Amino acid sequence: MPDCNENYGSEIYEGKNLRSVKCKFCNSVILTPGTATFTTFEFQLPLIKQTKIAGANPETECVSLFWSVNDMFTFQNVGFSNTVASTKYLTCADCEAGPIGYHDIPSKMSYVALSRVRHS
Amino acid sequence: MAKKTYDLLFKLLLIGDSGVGKTCILFRFSDDAFTTTFISTIGIDFKIKTVELRGKKIKLQIWDTAGQERFHTITTSYYRGAMGIMLVYDITNEKSFENIVKWLRNIDEHANEDVEKMILGNKCDMTDKRIVSKERGETIAREHGIRFMETSAKANINIERAFNELAEAILDKTAGKDPGDHVDRVMVDRRQQSSTSKSCCN
Ligand SMILES: Nc1nc2c(ncn2[C@@H]2O[C@H](COP(=O)(O)OP(=O)(O)O)[C@@H](O)[C@H]2O)c(=O)[nH]1
Ligand SMILES: [Mg+2]
Ligand SMILES: [Zn+2]
Repeated sequence: MPDCNENYGSEIYEGKNLRSVKCKFCNSVILTPGTATFTTFEFQLPLIKQTKIAGANPETECVSLFWSVNDMFTFQNVGFSNTVASTKYLTCADCEAGPIGYHDIPSKMSYVALSRVRHS
Repeated sequence: MAKKTYDLLFKLLLIGDSGVGKTCILFRFSDDAFTTTFISTIGIDFKIKTVELRGKKIKLQIWDTAGQERFHTITTSYYRGAMGIMLVYDITNEKSFENIVKWLRNIDEHANEDVEKMILGNKCDMTDKRIVSKERGETIAREHGIRFMETSAKANINIERAFNELAEAILDKTAGKDPGDHVDRVMVDRRQQSSTSKSCCN
């Protein structure tokens, strides 16, 4: 798993994000410190860049470390994609890079993949 | 329940004829590296942006249409809870300008009575193709007592400024009222939609 190669231990403080969560590409602030909860589970997240127009079967990678947010208005800046099944993908609100994570419509939970963002 | 990280929440909508640039205003990026990505194929439904105005942290939730404007089927459900509307026309398209009056009627009919409006003359980068003068835009806005700005989603002119001004106007209106919870939380799954490709800025 790509996100297991990095050590994120120092980013977690009392289960929350110690530092700001920002876009890797443009530095837009996605979450302010202490607003999201560290969670682990496995999810197939589509790659930011697809090698071809994959249509209904986008290329994905398994991601397992997330910042979870239960109220979408906790986000400082974020974009929500159109709905795909029961999911909306999350993007940077300023440069549209994504998916940086996903929103689960039934549970209203949002999950940002640690490996798709910058912490600073 | 976590403590609220903001003071106010404003729901804003983009309205106007098909092709005037609403989706580009929300999905601003054009000929950059991201346009061939997964996200650009699915399209963006809405954005949440945080602005600080007069010491208040304000969350803007900005919605694009899912293309209903093509069939003139924008009705009460799209307008529900909206506090601000960006009414967009294309300065290179006379018809889109004439339809502003129609859209204003549609808004009167379906939106909240005290919704704050702003008219945007978009594509102002296309100077050689301009058909609607800035004066005509200003005039119609003045006649209806609405703010006006010319914008370019492509060249990123006045986009941020327009949203800040609209937010500020709403803030003026809500000043003195109870902050926060009067905005009904918008359901994400409120509308059925198919994933349409972005035909935008390319
Ligand atoms: N030159 C120029 N073209 C624009 C601008 N905004 C949008 N467009 C183009 O206008 C077309 C329609 O834009 P779109 O955002 O899909 O319009 P919508 O139907 O209102 O959502 C696309 O081809 C865009 O590339 C702008 O500010 N300047
Ligand atoms: Mg559109
Ligand atoms: Zn970004």
